[in-house]
Amino acid sequence: MAIFGLWVINKAGGLVYQRNIGDGLPGLTSNEYLVLAGTLHGIHAITSRLSPTGSSSGAHTIEGEAFKMTILLTATGTKFVLLTSVVEPTADSVLQKVYEIYSDAVMKNPFHTPEMPIRSEAFDSRITALIG
Amino acid sequence: MTIYSLYIYDRHCTCVYYQDWHRTKAPRPATEGGILPAVSQQLYQVRGEDGTLSVMNSSPRNTLSSSSGVVIAVNDELPRTPLLQTMPQPPAPKPVHTGLSFDEEAKLVYGVVLSLRNMIKKLSGQDEQFTNYRTSTYKLHLYETLSGYKFIMLSDPFSDSLRFILRQIYAGPFLEYVVRNPLVNMDSKEYGIDNEYFRASVDRIVRGLSVF
Repeated sequence: MAIFGLWVINKAGGLVYQRNIGDGLPGLTSNEYLVLAGTLHGIHAITSRLSPTGSSSGAHTIEGEAFKMTILLTATGTKFVLLTSVVEPTADSVLQKVYEIYSDAVMKNPFHTPEMPIRSEAFDSRITALIG
Repeated sequence: MTIYSLYIYDRHCTCVYYQDWHRTKAPRPATEGGILPAVSQQLYQVRGEDGTLSVMNSSPRNTLSSSSGVVIAVNDELPRTPLLQTMPQPPAPKPVHTGLSFDEEAKLVYGVVLSLRNMIKKLSGQDEQFTNYRTSTYKLHLYETLSGYKFIMLSDPFSDSLRFILRQIYAGPFLEYVVRNPLVNMDSKEYGIDNEYFRASVDRIVRGLSVF
């Protein structure tokens, strides 16, 4: 029951927000995070094509032995990724709330350029209040 | 609760075995030279229906498999015909194809699994294994052996972890009918590992599961 990190990936696969919470996972350099986010973007597209029946969404959760990634894809193509421990039943609802905060604090901000890294104190502090 | 398919890859990234059960969207047959011989009987059968591959029945070495006695594996380029002559089955309805051919699909599956495996290792900072991912219509499970063989199974999205089954397939049929079978050319990069006993044995394990 722990949250390790949050990523926001824009529709082109660029990492626009990344934040570690707690020290459950080792920190990587920002370059490494950018590469991982790009990889995840590609994998997400491929997984939807591998469906053995009917049409499929992209990967929704990806699990390792000790942590999992939960991915929320919005209608506009932005991806919210939450890194948590394997048993974290609230991951989906947390992501929905993050999306709400993103809409309020980032999309309604007239000084924010779409698809660019998020540098907003309001967003930061509200995320801290939610999962910090 | 459904199990869709099983892929086995060797450490050279090549698909050496494939079997499926409840797939409603089959891959298109592999292109010539796209997959190794003796990977999957099903795929060759599909090609036979199209009338493009009739060599299967006229193979000069077919005498081996129809004779009495136990043949565990035949060193033949083509998949072996069943030991027991089965009754001719009514033609199945034409399967709906995905847009991909089998060799492309096999490469994509391997690519996804390898990338995720590296991503999980990098993020965790230690040797942590990637175990599964889930989409709206299926769940992919991975079990990797120390020798680099990767067992990959696709099931419905709500099943529990199936790694123990993959391990069971490795510890049972795989060791018994592939590793201990002197006629199977492992690690050759030229042949798959498909043989009658392995296929039947895997089939029995999977069909006996409560999640099948």
